Amino acid sequence: MRVNRRSFLRSVGGCACATLLPSALFLGERNAAAIEAADKLDLTGKLHLADVALVAAKAGGASYADFRLCRYQTEYLEVREHRLEESSTGISAGFCVRVLLDGTWGYASSPLATEDEVRRTTLRAIEVAKASQPLQLRKFVLEDVPSHQDRWDMPMKADPFLVGTDEKIAHMLAINEAAMKAGADYATMSFAFVREEKCFASSVGSRITQSRVRSMPDGEVTVVDKTTGKFATRATLAAPRGSGYDYILAYDFIGEATKAAHQAREKLKAKPVAPGEYDLVLDPTNLFLTIHESVGHPTELDRALGWEANFAGTTFCTPDKLGKLRYGSELMHIVADRSQEGGLSTVGYDDDGVRSVGTEFDIIKDGIFLNYQTAIGQAQLIGQPRSNGCAFADSWNSFPIQRMPNVSLQPNKKKCSLHDLFSEIKRGIYIVGHGSWSIDQQRHNFQFGGQLFYEIKDGKLGGMLRDVAYQGSTVEFWNSMDGIGDKSTYFLGGAPNCGKGQPEQTAPVSHGAVPARFRQVTVLNTERKDIA
Amino acid sequence: MILSEADARSITNKILALSKADSCIVTLDGSEERHVRFAQNMATTNGSPSSLDIGVESHFGKRSGSASGTDLSDDALAALVAAAEDTAKRAPENPEFMPPVGPQTYPTGSSFSTATQGTTSDMLASAILPVLQKAQARNLQASGFLDIGTAFSSFANSSGLFVYDQGTEVLHTVTARTPDGTGSGWAGTTHFDFSKMDVAAMGAVAIDKAIRSQKPARLEPGKYTVILEPSAVSDLLGILISEFDQRAADEGRSFATKKGGGSLLGENVFGKNVTIYSDPNDPLVPGAIYSDDGLPAQRTAWVEGGVLKNLPRSRYWAQKTKGATVPSPTTLTMTGGTTSTADMIKQTKRGLLITRFWYIREVDPQTVLLTGLTRDGVFLIEDGAITRPSCNFRFNESPVAMLNKVIAMGPSVRAYGEESIGIPVAVPTLLVDGFTLSSVSDAV
Repeated sequence: MRVNRRSFLRSVGGCACATLLPSALFLGERNAAAIEAADKLDLTGKLHLADVALVAAKAGGASYADFRLCRYQTEYLEVREHRLEESSTGISAGFCVRVLLDGTWGYASSPLATEDEVRRTTLRAIEVAKASQPLQLRKFVLEDVPSHQDRWDMPMKADPFLVGTDEKIAHMLAINEAAMKAGADYATMSFAFVREEKCFASSVGSRITQSRVRSMPDGEVTVVDKTTGKFATRATLAAPRGSGYDYILAYDFIGEATKAAHQAREKLKAKPVAPGEYDLVLDPTNLFLTIHESVGHPTELDRALGWEANFAGTTFCTPDKLGKLRYGSELMHIVADRSQEGGLSTVGYDDDGVRSVGTEFDIIKDGIFLNYQTAIGQAQLIGQPRSNGCAFADSWNSFPIQRMPNVSLQPNKKKCSLHDLFSEIKRGIYIVGHGSWSIDQQRHNFQFGGQLFYEIKDGKLGGMLRDVAYQGSTVEFWNSMDGIGDKSTYFLGGAPNCGKGQPEQTAPVSHGAVPARFRQVTVLNTERKDIA
Repeated sequence: MILSEADARSITNKILALSKADSCIVTLDGSEERHVRFAQNMATTNGSPSSLDIGVESHFGKRSGSASGTDLSDDALAALVAAAEDTAKRAPENPEFMPPVGPQTYPTGSSFSTATQGTTSDMLASAILPVLQKAQARNLQASGFLDIGTAFSSFANSSGLFVYDQGTEVLHTVTARTPDGTGSGWAGTTHFDFSKMDVAAMGAVAIDKAIRSQKPARLEPGKYTVILEPSAVSDLLGILISEFDQRAADEGRSFATKKGGGSLLGENVFGKNVTIYSDPNDPLVPGAIYSDDGLPAQRTAWVEGGVLKNLPRSRYWAQKTKGATVPSPTTLTMTGGTTSTADMIKQTKRGLLITRFWYIREVDPQTVLLTGLTRDGVFLIEDGAITRPSCNFRFNESPVAMLNKVIAMGPSVRAYGEESIGIPVAVPTLLVDGFTLSSVSDAV
């Protein structure tokens, strides 16, 4: 559905002081050991609890049940200017039991992983399902859910939880130092890390354990002009990734912080955009979010079935359009995957226990809408055999619902650089980074901002513009795309906080993109002169 | 998981006894919920989640670190304290560090209902079933969410402060849609007392709006006189309040920054008919009894007769600027008026009645310019009467500008919007002049 407003992590970042100091490594290990000590259950213990839940669910009449025991290790660090604002670590652990009873779902969860509590919680899930049955005017029917016994671990070079907190803080302070030195009035930088561990067992015999890590840098510099009362910001273009600390080290956050301070200052004096129709070249640091909102969400089957009508919304992309709708120009090839290196949605099995890594599928090929994203109990409603592995629950406390895999725009097979895209534009704008973002509940009308805007005139990149936002209607917009970059221009963006469901759940998802050219898009000037 | 005050105090004391730091803060939060979720006239993902969070913040001099967990066992609590202390020891000194405050006096708190805590899943389903039946009888599709929860929280520190708060909360939202997808209506709100929530009446509103909103007229975008129902107002007001921050204003990066330096405190920023305040004891929207750093939530005027009276000010910033600390709000009220929605319609020559907004995001923090969309019931008013349903629109508008153009207000009522800032909100229906609708949305 949407990317949360308040929780969206912004970022700057990056340092070359990357090697692990022996002391830092030692402290990191010690911290990890203390945390491990608190995780009393080994795999046998976890699977025993799973058996307790699944036996109780069967005895209670469930035709299907699953049990997820999850543990999330987190670290959040935030610096502001030259000082540490927050350093926190966390472990959140608990389990969820989900039952399908005579076609009605019920789930219950608890942080207390004991045999008695698992039994009590399973009975609560059954009670919820039974109580909800009078509302089940149409029963849920599951396809033949597959059974898997496997372990999957995200490949990673440097475990962020084995890097000393002090080293990370020093890295962040150095980034802010660079921004301040380059003229920023204020600078914030944060690093957030998550290790997600799940043990899944289901009544069809699946027994799956998985682990993956997310590294999420964020930051912003601000410059202020006290005489005019104006200020400007520039957020990092770094994306959150399903990667280790090596990703953080490889990104030139210090170079970016310096540049960001200069660019924010330049924004204050940039030329206001004249509203009108422009040809746009969207950098992948901007386009990834447009893909998320205008392609990722409309092609979610639960929305098409009306299951999100009360909150996330429905979609213009109804099942009768499968295989028929010309979603975009022939250059538009959108692939869904849960395999891409660094992808926030990359995982071996989804939270329904369906194999997801290595099961890529086309959502749009040659501009034609071909496939929805699905979870169990959905595909057969549109005449398809089974789920394509797109379920996700954001916590041990949540019910798995259909969520996005990595949804990415494939590069041009022909050679095409960013500057090749500029060359055929008489009057246009090049937009870098994501700013404000909003789209209607059926995914037609959108408005996006950006971090940086540059004039394009007669094929050449010109000066900076300010107060730019573009509006469009999804299908018209994607059909106006007449140029895209080749694989050398590919960038993996992402959002750590896509919201959907009730209670609302937050999902991390990546989107690969290349720069792309769109013709005659409506551009607004967002300055309000009537407000002092 | 709900811990009683005695249990919370006992666990807190255990953690404080384990602490070797110069000072320490302990927080406990937990909840137990029951909900039914439904769509297309059928139950979907019904549940009963339970949560717990234990937080420890340790300080050595001006070094701070924190750790959180979900395990109450002795071993886990010891590991938690050790992790917080380890983190604190490796942190650089924070020149803005403020030591924990001592014991405080708190409001009594009145957002707990024993009967609501005892609500069963059967009771939730019984409340929803007539709405689904009515929707089905009218050939409509009803979707919604009814969630009842009990939550507790406690905040304590090594300076002797301990505060425990407990509340119940009910959230209900319902959407009815026509099968052809041309009509959609919505209703929703929150309360702490389930007996005060009329689920059937809310279902009836959603159904009525779905029927009346069918086959909307495609109108031109532009500046419109609008009647914003409470959900729409609560979203805009909540986002505006989240921009209230004394430090940001003083630092020159807020809508409340004054040209030449300083903040707009004491100045006429909004229309004279605008008053916004927080009161944890407000009978309509009682709020949590404590706020930042365990300080008591207090009655605070944010805007009075259009004058900006207060912005939240942290203890550090208060000390630095020699002002008073102003804790963040735990509840929010915009004072209402006496004009009924029917009278607002009567006095409108040409305008739109808007049920709620969707996907609101800030475009420009300098002016709090927001963009978002209307949803689930927009109606055209011509010559004092609703004449036909309207298409949806994208708006580009600032609540700062909007609150300078309020023509009339209804009584303040509890309200809920999808951009809720997580505290109870009471706002009136507003009649507003010159609201900017920048483009048409084809969504229904």
